[in-house]
Amino acid sequence: MKDFKYIRPKNLDELLAIKNEQQEEARLLAGGTNLLVYIKEGSLKRATLVDIGSLAALKGIREKDGYLEIGAAETITDIMASPLVSEKLPFLRESLQGFANPLIRNISTVAGNIAEGSPIADTAPLLLVLNSEVVVASIAGRRNIPIDDFFISLGKTEIKAEEVIITIRISIPEKGKGKFVKLGLRKGTSCSVVSVAVWLIANGRGVEDIRIALGGVAPLPLRAVKTEAFFKSKILDENNIGELALKVTNEVTPITDVRSGAAYRSEVSAALLLKAVRECLGMEE
Amino acid sequence: MELYEVELMVNDGAVSDRVRAETTLLDFLRENNFTEVKRGCSKGDCGACTVIIDGRPVPSCMTIALQCRGKKIYTVKSLGSWDKLHPLQQAFVDHEALQCGFCTPGMLMTAKALLSDQPHPSREEIREAISGNLCRCTGYQKIVDAIEAVGKGGKK
Repeated sequence: MKDFKYIRPKNLDELLAIKNEQQEEARLLAGGTNLLVYIKEGSLKRATLVDIGSLAALKGIREKDGYLEIGAAETITDIMASPLVSEKLPFLRESLQGFANPLIRNISTVAGNIAEGSPIADTAPLLLVLNSEVVVASIAGRRNIPIDDFFISLGKTEIKAEEVIITIRISIPEKGKGKFVKLGLRKGTSCSVVSVAVWLIANGRGVEDIRIALGGVAPLPLRAVKTEAFFKSKILDENNIGELALKVTNEVTPITDVRSGAAYRSEVSAALLLKAVRECLGMEE
Repeated sequence: MELYEVELMVNDGAVSDRVRAETTLLDFLRENNFTEVKRGCSKGDCGACTVIIDGRPVPSCMTIALQCRGKKIYTVKSLGSWDKLHPLQQAFVDHEALQCGFCTPGMLMTAKALLSDQPHPSREEIREAISGNLCRCTGYQKIVDAIEAVGKGGKK
C-alpha cells in the first residue's frame, strides 16, 4: 500500500529539521524525475516528499573564490541559460546539451542527478574532471565533499541520511579545454551506454595535464587516473593518440545490461575518449 | 492515506481538488476533465503529456500536482478553438503534421514555448526543442515544416 506525505519547507532551517527528524524517510523532491519513477514502478512505497523545488535558499548561480556555485534546486535549463556559466565555463553548458531531453532539463537538477549514486549520471563525469565539491548541510552544519570522495558504491554516496545537498561547487579552470561525449541508444531521452568527459591542458599537442572521467563502465562514475598517467607529458599525434586512448580499456570494468554488452562498452570507452581528446585538440569537429 | 487540498491555475482558471501526495499533474488534469493532455509512457520519455508551466514545456507525468501551486499551467486547449485555431494548430493542419494525433497536444505545447522564447527558430533548433516529444506515425519532417512555417511568419 502506498503511503506518501507531502511537505514544502519554507526555508533551509525547516528543511534541515525535517531531514534530521525523518532521515531516509524524507525524500527530496526537486524535479522528481527519479523519485516519480520509483513511486510508479513501486520500488518506493512510503516516504515524505519534501518539496525543495521552489526553495530560495537552494537557488542561484554565482561565482565565488574561483568556483561556480550552483544552488541544488537550479534546473539544468537554468544552468544552461546562465550568462555566468556561459562566460566562465562554456564547457558545462555545452556538455549539458546532451542531458536527457529539453522537457526533462526544464525540471531536473545536477544535485538530483548525482544524489542517487548512479554510474550513468551524465553530470558525474563533468564534475569529476573539474575538481568539484558537493556542499551538504544538516542541522549540525555544513561540509564540502570533494567529488572524488562523493561516490562510494553502486547507488551509494557520501551523503548521510540527515544531510541535504545545498550547493554544487565547480572550480573554474584557468586554462585548458573540455569535451563531453556520450553514446546512448538514440540522441534524445536516452540513458548513456558510455559517457566520457575530458579536461585537457595542452601546449600545442603536448599534454601538460589531463583529467578523464567516464560513466557507464564501472559501479561508480570513474575517474581514469591510470589512463591519465599514460597521457601526461606525451606529445600527441595521429599515431599515438589512439593507442593511448586504448589504455582506458584496462581501467574500465563494464557490465552487460539491457543497453549494451560489456565488451562493446569497453571498446566504446576508448573510441569516445579518442574523440574527446581529438576535439579538445581541435583535430576534429 | 493523507489527502491534500490543492487549487491550481489551469488555462487561467482555478481548479480545486483533493489529491494524494504523489498524484501527478497529469492525473490531476485528466481527472478534472483536461483530457486533452495525453497519457503516453507515464515516465517522462515520450512528451505526450507536455503542458506549459510558467512558460516552460514540461512532462506533466513527471510533475507532482502539489508542486504546481502558485504556478500557471497551460494545456493545448489554451491555444485555440475549432472556430479560431492558433497559427501553430493551423500550420499542423496545413502541413499534415499529424496522423493519429496522440503526440500533437504535447508537440504543440513544446512548439508554443519554443516560439515564445525564440520566434524564428532554425530547423536544427526546432528538432532540438521537440527531441523530447516522440511521434510514432507521421515522422518529424512535417512537424518541423509546420513549426518552421509559423516561425517564418506568414500568419501569426
